[in-house]
Amino acid sequence: MEAAISSILFYLFAAIAVLSAFGVVASRNPVTSAMCMAVSFASTAAVLFCMGAQFLGIVQIIVYAGAILVLFLFVVMMLDVKSEESTLSRLPRAIVGVVIAGIFAGMVTKAALLLPGATEGKCPVAALCCDEACTTDTGATDKFGGPLPALKETDTKEISGTKALGETLFTQYNIAFVILSFALLAGTVGAVALGRKIRKD
Amino acid sequence: MTPLAHYLILSGILFSIGLAGVLIRKNIIVVFMCLEMMLSAANISLVAFSRAQGTEGVPVYDAQVLALFVVAIAAAEVAIGLALIVAMFRARKSVESTAITSLKD
Repeated sequence: MEAAISSILFYLFAAIAVLSAFGVVASRNPVTSAMCMAVSFASTAAVLFCMGAQFLGIVQIIVYAGAILVLFLFVVMMLDVKSEESTLSRLPRAIVGVVIAGIFAGMVTKAALLLPGATEGKCPVAALCCDEACTTDTGATDKFGGPLPALKETDTKEISGTKALGETLFTQYNIAFVILSFALLAGTVGAVALGRKIRKD
Repeated sequence: MTPLAHYLILSGILFSIGLAGVLIRKNIIVVFMCLEMMLSAANISLVAFSRAQGTEGVPVYDAQVLALFVVAIAAAEVAIGLALIVAMFRARKSVESTAITSLKD
């Protein structure tokens, strides 16, 4: 039952994410685009929660839906951007873009469905129409594309995975983490340098 | 549980919607938003692979660390990109991508 609920929630949030992503591309007003982007990022975070990556889901909400979105809204309101021209004038462009993106999406879908075990479950929400036998398979290598293995039961006091993620980040990837902080510093300095008024003389 | 393939398809669809936005839209701010969507779509497939590759219910945390790095780089990129957009607006009084044609003319 738990698996069924998590599957249903995944499809629900996936649909919301895709629809609001369409909203970002289709809406003429940049503020509407930004709001649709917030919804899309929030449901992406929900999908990450469904996969048991709680820390990354929270980071997704804080960084994307919090910081990045507010930056976008600040710039949109500061620059006083006008709405774009009618959709008819950019129809050829739109057709080319949709065709290229459609080809890409088709390629990814085909490649994902070709993974071993990807079409194992006949119905999308496998837990609703079969017993526990087909939801609990542990052969990770031979049915790689199939249902994800269930997460290990953890102590309820411990937020699952966050501790292990931190251990991996600060031991194995410590140097990369330090270099990343320099990249963030360079980004800040660059933004300040670019944001200055350029003197004419 | 949901198959890995469905997570990958969701990630691919979100990525290609972002790609379509980058190709179609002329407003550079919206193009930039679509770039951010493409980055977060890549995160979904990273986390899905980290679950699928794990043994005995313990995910491979390397992929999640990489996803964390992607988020941090996206934040730095937004800071730089929006500063560039503001500088462009000061110079051209427009944020349309069709306004930057000095190299073409």
